[in-house]
Parts: sequence; structure tokens; C-alpha cells
Amino acid sequence: MKDAASGTRQLPHSRLVRSVILAVATGVAAGVAVPAGLERRYTIAFANANEEPGVSVEGTGFSGAEIRQSFVLAARTLPIDLVFYDNHRDDARAVANAEAAIARKVDLYVQYHHGSSANATVAQKLKAAGIPLLAVNEAVSGAPLYSLDNMAAGRIAGDTLGQFATRTWPGQPVAAVVIGRVSTNGDRVRGVTDGLRKRLPNARVSTLETQGNPSQVAPLLSPLLASQPTSKVLIAATDDATALAAKSAVDSAGRARDVAIVGHGVDRSIHGGANDRKELDPNNRASIVLGSVAFYLDRMGYDVLPIAMRMLRGENVPARTATSHKLITPANVFAEYPPYDMN
Amino acid sequence: MFRTALIFALASMALASAPVAFAQSDCKSVVKPSPFGPNDQTGATNRVTPAVTKAAAAEIQTGKVTNMSYPLVDGVPLFGSRFTKTVLTATSLAPGASFGDNQLTYMEDTWLSQSHVGTHLDGMGHIGIKDCYYNQTPMGKFINQNNMTKLGLENLKSFATRGVIIDMVKVYQDAGKLKTNTACKKACIDKGTVISVADLQAGLKMYNVTLREGDMVMIHTGWGDLFEQFPAQNALYNSGEPGIGKEAANWLAGQKVVAVGTDNWAVEVIPSENPKEAFPVHAILLTDNGIHIMENVRTDLIAAEAASSKRATFFVNMTVPKAVGLTGNFVAIDAIQ
Repeated sequence: MKDAASGTRQLPHSRLVRSVILAVATGVAAGVAVPAGLERRYTIAFANANEEPGVSVEGTGFSGAEIRQSFVLAARTLPIDLVFYDNHRDDARAVANAEAAIARKVDLYVQYHHGSSANATVAQKLKAAGIPLLAVNEAVSGAPLYSLDNMAAGRIAGDTLGQFATRTWPGQPVAAVVIGRVSTNGDRVRGVTDGLRKRLPNARVSTLETQGNPSQVAPLLSPLLASQPTSKVLIAATDDATALAAKSAVDSAGRARDVAIVGHGVDRSIHGGANDRKELDPNNRASIVLGSVAFYLDRMGYDVLPIAMRMLRGENVPARTATSHKLITPANVFAEYPPYDMN
Repeated sequence: MFRTALIFALASMALASAPVAFAQSDCKSVVKPSPFGPNDQTGATNRVTPAVTKAAAAEIQTGKVTNMSYPLVDGVPLFGSRFTKTVLTATSLAPGASFGDNQLTYMEDTWLSQSHVGTHLDGMGHIGIKDCYYNQTPMGKFINQNNMTKLGLENLKSFATRGVIIDMVKVYQDAGKLKTNTACKKACIDKGTVISVADLQAGLKMYNVTLREGDMVMIHTGWGDLFEQFPAQNALYNSGEPGIGKEAANWLAGQKVVAVGTDNWAVEVIPSENPKEAFPVHAILLTDNGIHIMENVRTDLIAAEAASSKRATFFVNMTVPKAVGLTGNFVAIDAIQ
């Protein structure tokens, strides 16, 4: 059901939700208040995209295990019991996982899988079983969606670089490059270009494809730097490992004074705690890595589970909720990611 | 014109030389006032009155003493650049270096260490919000390069009070909800587990204890088992911990306790309930309420003693050095029953 006026989607209630509403209504009718602490517990299934060790997700440095852990941590303060599945980037497995969750009679299913055909099958089976579905990072017909906003993230990176160039190098020739997994991150690349051109309308933006291999950064970037001996160079890296590799290549070329870099992700390779100094650190404010755009995949559970709770309580939820991407710099990294390696 | 320019230049110099770290906040809007008065630097040890100590002394019935401290030795879990290093001076043991006809010899130590290591107590100057510390103290005005000139350990009163052990491991076992960590050799609650008010109350009910004003509350989580395995499990020990959440911290503050200690490194649950908050329980207990935090406390022995004797209360034998201007210090604790 869709509420045309609000643009939000009213989800069909599961049998269990109806039972809860009936029980609450009965209690209210009998003059019995239901204390918040006595809310029933729900079983929510999270079918993760892929938890294969060493495999990163969404073109960032985050792993599926970090996403799973964010659900575990976020559930601590909610009346939720979690059941985990690993879709393993496999359509058949994604469908089998949904079937297992249906047999287990979970209250809600969170599907994170890139595969439209399997997702449609999963949605159909869950609907038949009366189990609400919440989709993550890939739209599924009839289900609310929580997802990254790659365009918005790219715009933040591009705008940051453009702003830096206009402030630091006014009137000087500037070249811009997006480097990393560019072919599979089209929205991110377009966002960077949009953001840059807002500040530098005539900026030339080229791309360098590394296929996610940081060791390819220097061989690709060094010739570009050499071809721009008198230009300043703005580098948007599609992930943090690429940003760090780019910095290394720039240092090796002796061009640190001519370059600014912004990454995407804010994974643990680029920020650390109070003691394990990393590139984004309050004491490293002069770095040519201006910052990185946060994707918060290590906090996804904190965003997704409250939406799931609203669905289970029969409340309206937006058709799409996007990650609130933000530029993380040495000036705000400890506010955004408080270190806990001190006591 | 010249005078105006001079004033402007001097004002600019003054602004430029003001250290950012000493920026002053309106601490009255940041930190709660102390319940012990606007000039108080002592905090919750104000609650350890002669009457409280006398009542606590009644806990000594058998005279049995149980150790609640871990060994302070190189290799125990520490963070980052923290270290402990002892250097023994034993020059008079060299042949011919003894003193006098009686050939007296002596030895002593040089001890290099941060203060918040091993079994230790957090003082009022350890944690603040912005530059605001306990009792709305604008700490930027009260520090120099060596120490604090306000809220130091020298201001604390006695800890001669009643201790209460709350055995969370047993509570979780009895409730069938213990999620242990496989690295623990004994039962432990896994890191990230939020200990709630209901959990604390269940632990108190287990031994029919009602908290009293001035009590020192010790919580056994089992996580200290990893400390005991040093250095093998140091990284795991430091990577997180089970502990109390904000709700439980506020509840304990409402019970007017003098200190809260655990067998972990921060008392509070890590990672925090809200990933964007840093050590909120520290701020609730220390900054807002002047209640001490005690970390790396050895709780397994007294928890076992309580399980055996069915007595979860004891007399606390602990003193804190009058270390002027320090934010904390290592302590040794005995539980006497």
C-alpha cells in the first residue's frame, strides 16, 4: 500500500504484528498500560551480501563482517533477536536463505543482495509468507530501501576538492582525476564530477581504473603527474586504500605541494584511535589527504534496525532512506569516530 | 591613529597567543553542580563518613582477606604508547660497595609509568566534557605542564567503606543468557554486552543486598580473565569489553555510591551503545557525579568467595596516595570479610 499524500509506503502487517496490535488494543481497552520495557521481542533476519573474509563491499574498504557486526551492536538496545544469513553473492543461496527464514517464521527480513531476479523471488516468497521485507543497497519492488547515496558522496568529494583548489590555488591550472574502481562506481564518479564543476566549471576530469588494486595506483598516476608538470592536481579516490596509495605515489613523485586528495569510505585503513596514528588524525591536519567521505558501512545496523522496528510496529517508513554521507577530516574524525583506546 | 593601531596590534597578539586547548566553556551549562557544594574538590568520598566506616567495619566477621588487585608488572595490557618500566638500583651489592663495618647494602627502584595502568583509580581530573570537569571546573585554568592545580588526588578522603560484589557472570549464567568469549579460560561475558539496571538488581538480589550510600560497587564480568593471561590476550582484552551502559551508570549514581569498579579497563560497555559517544559512563560517574571509577580490578576471587559464603559484602581496605595534582593512580585493594 502506498500513501500517495506522503509518498511513504504502508507495509502489510505480519500476523505477529497484528497479534501484538490486538494484544495492545485489548490491554488498552481493559485499562492496562503496556510499559515500553515490556514490548515483545522480534526476530529479524539479516541476509548479508557477502561475508567472505578479505572481500570488501560496495567499492569501499569495508567487509561484510563489519556490516554484520554493526547489526549485532545496534540490536543491543532494541528488543530484537537477530538471525544471520550470508547470501555470498549467489542468487540461489539468496533464495535458499529467504526460504530458511520463512521456515523459521522470522518477523522481518532484511535483504542485502545485488541480483534483481533473486531479489524478486525472495520478495515474492516473503510476501506469500506474510513477512515484511526491507531491502539494503538494491531496490526490491514493494519493499522500503535503505541504501548508500553514491552520487551524494561523490558530490561531497568533488565539492571539497573544488573548494580547496579555488581557495588555495586561485587562477592556477588545475587537473582533476578520479582513480580506483571507476567502472563499477559510475554514480560516485559522476558525483565527483558534479561537485568539482560546481566550483571549477571548466575542470577537466579524467579517470584511472585500478580495479580496486592499490598497487596499480602508482603506475597509473605517476605518468599523469608527469604530464601535468605545471598544473595542480585534484585526486578523488573511490576508496581509502586508493587514496593512501595515491598519496604515496604523489610523495614519490615529489609533487605533494601540487596535489589534494579525497577518499571515499572512512574505513579503518585511514582513521584510527588515539594511539594508532593514521592519515586522518587530529594531529595530521596538514596532510594532502583532505579527508574521506564517510559511508558508515560499519554502522549500517544502527540505521537499518530502527527502520525495521518502525515497520514491525506498523508505522509508515519512507520508500527510500539514504546514508547521510559526510566529509571526515582530521578536524572532525575523533568526533565522528570517537577513539576508545584510552582509559 | 598610531595609538589605535598599537591597541589593535596588542589585541591581535593576545588573541594569537591564547592557546586553543585552554578555550573556556560555560561549564555551568556543560557539567552538573556537585552535590557537595560549589567549592568541593573531593567528590564522592565525602560520603565515607565516620558512621559509614563504622557500619562497614561490621562486615569484618571472619577476618578473611581476599585480594582484588592484579600484579603490576611489565607486560600487562596497556594502550598504545603507554608503558611501565622498572629499573632496579643495586649498586651497593657490588663487591666493596656496602656501607660501614656492618656492611649494610640497599636497593631501590625507578618506576616509569603512566598513572592509569594496572588496578587503578580514576580521579576527578581524569574525564571532562570540553574543558569542563567535576563540579563545573573550567580545567583550562587549573593545569600546568606537570599536573593539575585543582581536583588532584590529594583532595580525596578515605575509602574505608563497605564493598559490594555483583557477580554478573552468575546472573547471566542463571538467566541462561551468558555469551562467553572462547579466549576466556573461565566463564566471561563477551565484549560489547550492555549490563543493564535490571542485571545489576538481579545481582544484588542474588545475595539479598541493598545498596547503601557510600558503598563501593564492584562488578564481576569475567573479562579480567584475559588480563590474567597477559601478554597473550592483551589485544583482545583492549579491543572492547562488557560493561555498564548509561542507564545503569545513572542508576548507580542515584544510589550515591562512592566508586564503581570492574575487572575490565573502562567499567563501561565498549563499543558504546551509541557509536558516536565517547566513554559516556565515565562522564556520568566522574564528571557529573564525582563518583570514582576503578579499572582492572581483580573480582573473580571475591565473586567466588561470595558464591561460597553467600555474602557479597565486605570491608574495603584501600588507600590512595596523596599524589598532588594527579588524575589517577594505581591502587591495591583487599576485601575483608
